[in-house]
Amino acid sequence: MILRELSRQTLRSCLANGGVRLRTGPIVTCIRSRCDEVLNGLALLYADYPVEDEGSFADFHAAIAPPRSVRRWLRPQISFEFDGASPFFPLPADQAFAALEWGLNWCVSFHCHQYLIVHAACLERTGCALLLPGEPGSGKSTLCAGLVSRGWRLLSDELALLDFATGEAVPLPRPISLKNAAIDVIRAFAHDAVLSTPVHDTSKGSVAHMRAPLESVHRAGELARPRWIVLPKYRSDATTSLNPLSRGRAFMELADHAFNYDLHGRRGFDLLADIVSGCHCHTFEYSALDEAVTVFDTLSATA
Amino acid sequence: MQSLSVPRWRSVPRDAVALREFDGEFVVRNESTGNSHLLGLLAGRVLVVLLDARGSLDAAEIASHLDTTVSPVETGEAYDAVEEVLAEFCRLGLADIEST
Amino acid sequence: MSGENRALLLEALRDPAILGELDLKQWETLIREARRNNLLPRLAFDADALHLESRIPEQPREHLKAARAQAIAHAVAVKREVRFIDRALSTLGVPVVLLKGAAYLMGDLAAARGRLFSDVDILVPRSALAEVESALMLNGWTSLKTTPYDQRYYREWMHELPPLRHHTRQTVLDVHHAILPTTARLRPDSAKLLAASRPIPGEARLRVLAPVDMVLHSATHLFCNEDVGNSLRDLVDQDSLLRGFAGEEGFWATLAGRATELGLARPLFYGLRYARVVLATPVPASVLRAAERGRPPSLSLRLMDAAFLRMLRPGQLGQGSGAASLARGSLYLRAHWLRMPPLLLAYHLITKALRQEQAAVR
Repeated sequence: MILRELSRQTLRSCLANGGVRLRTGPIVTCIRSRCDEVLNGLALLYADYPVEDEGSFADFHAAIAPPRSVRRWLRPQISFEFDGASPFFPLPADQAFAALEWGLNWCVSFHCHQYLIVHAACLERTGCALLLPGEPGSGKSTLCAGLVSRGWRLLSDELALLDFATGEAVPLPRPISLKNAAIDVIRAFAHDAVLSTPVHDTSKGSVAHMRAPLESVHRAGELARPRWIVLPKYRSDATTSLNPLSRGRAFMELADHAFNYDLHGRRGFDLLADIVSGCHCHTFEYSALDEAVTVFDTLSATA
Repeated sequence: MQSLSVPRWRSVPRDAVALREFDGEFVVRNESTGNSHLLGLLAGRVLVVLLDARGSLDAAEIASHLDTTVSPVETGEAYDAVEEVLAEFCRLGLADIEST
Repeated sequence: MSGENRALLLEALRDPAILGELDLKQWETLIREARRNNLLPRLAFDADALHLESRIPEQPREHLKAARAQAIAHAVAVKREVRFIDRALSTLGVPVVLLKGAAYLMGDLAAARGRLFSDVDILVPRSALAEVESALMLNGWTSLKTTPYDQRYYREWMHELPPLRHHTRQTVLDVHHAILPTTARLRPDSAKLLAASRPIPGEARLRVLAPVDMVLHSATHLFCNEDVGNSLRDLVDQDSLLRGFAGEEGFWATLAGRATELGLARPLFYGLRYARVVLATPVPASVLRAAERGRPPSLSLRLMDAAFLRMLRPGQLGQGSGAASLARGSLYLRAHWLRMPPLLLAYHLITKALRQEQAAVR
């Protein structure tokens, strides 16, 4: 079944009790929470995602709940909990859904060492995958959201999962997180994009999440072979330009942006080297999203 | 008789190193240190020479392995460049002077 | 502890063959319990040893694969670290004895299989402490704890140099001259431990404790240590060591006697008791009889049983029952009591609590 088939009441009840077993790509997370923000966020942004039944296997157990310590604060707080323990400090309660998203990212990046995980956006066109590794502030999420609104399939906005056996990228389509100015840029660029209500004053500024396109969710079982590695850099007055990047440098960027490159040692080296050898590599500067999309459309014709 | 002994160099063992060349650059992973590096053409080729060598080599021998058809002037420049690379390898833990 | 309602993790540790018989829901529970106790990689290796891969459903298998990769990475990192330590100390001519996980790994013991490691611990003679510290500093290690209070705590009151961190590799090294603090009530003689230490095959300088001493150190660490969160994992170490050395000549015969000689009869009593009860470790009756020398007063034993056995029942997940966290609290207090005289203890706990408060305020 998919999440939208649950009535709001049922969803609320499941979240408050046994949890909702939400499937995102290869991962099933049992989510528990009594927070309205979580309920609303799931209902809005995960409406088309599969929900597994109680008898199924959950990879992770996550909860968003008030923190256990007795400390009193002026504003109500919540904590992300993994198996009953909180890896992070509590946050203001209005950030509950954002906390869930960050927590779900943490579950994968901290535990899923069956993959090589790169901190990068990952998209697909014409059967080939595009990797966009980037620092926070590089504009990769904005670019990702823009491309996804113009026909690219979303594999992930943050966590590129690379499969050791085949060298392909494994989809983990989830809401795309947008910060600060990017929120308005995407609203203007994609009128029918579904965005959560922004929360403000997070450690990253204002944050909102954009729903992944339906097709990306439906095709979450389709892996894709990386064909392009592009390092994006948003600069407010930049001319849009795509420049060559040596494969050697692209390799180092992927290794640098990987969560578990060191963990995998020699195997990780070989996997990244194999992937890089099959890719066209570039750096990319842009200020205007529509120009950026055009460049990538052209790029996708060069498979 | 040698007045000053010239340092002889050894790389880390062959099985500790993973190496790939991409268009004249080399990416290297050194299991002895756990570090990965991007090497330019000269450095990469010096490393390959050291990895392939059966024993230790000095800078001149390494330089001669790199290109057998250079003129004496070029050989001199190559020698200096090789010495610089070796110093860097020492710092990175990719190669070391053989202790006698 | 009765057989019914035993946590799945304990069943799997006692009898790894069941890893080929579990359904998805059981795997879900087992993975959570194992992960909470840092024992998921251990299960992966146990399953491997019995060639059970084809009998494990795909989703749990992925978690085992991830855990296996993690443990392998840890072992590689520890071996690498040991190489660097060896090189740094090679010219000193001082015996360097690896302790705990690093010793199990370099000694190729079953206890190292599927183990996760944090710091590397070494034991050196007290007289060599200064030159060891110098040599390490020269090679890139720096002191982790820098407040004057912490420096005093470690140097004067505890049994080690303040932990050292390597400035580029970010790995942590604990240098001990005794396995318990000099202020503790129990004072096993380091000279005896060093004298009985053994070389590691293939290593020119590095050594490990003699088998009986390794077991005693593990028992001491388990029952006298601050970090009680890892108790089940530590008990698994104890069990692995006991099983691994059982066949070695003279091991069982000398274990209890050595414990008495080192003043560690109490930890051995507890170690054998809980290993048998929780993990069904086979221990000869004669050894158990000899270990009775270490039996505590019955009130202490009852308290210890209650605190420890509750602690070791991995069933509390998520719901964090008050009793369990209290149990954890009382074990923490006990560990401290054994290590520091009461006045010093109060000072330390108060200061530690204050600084944690400060750290928690963002």
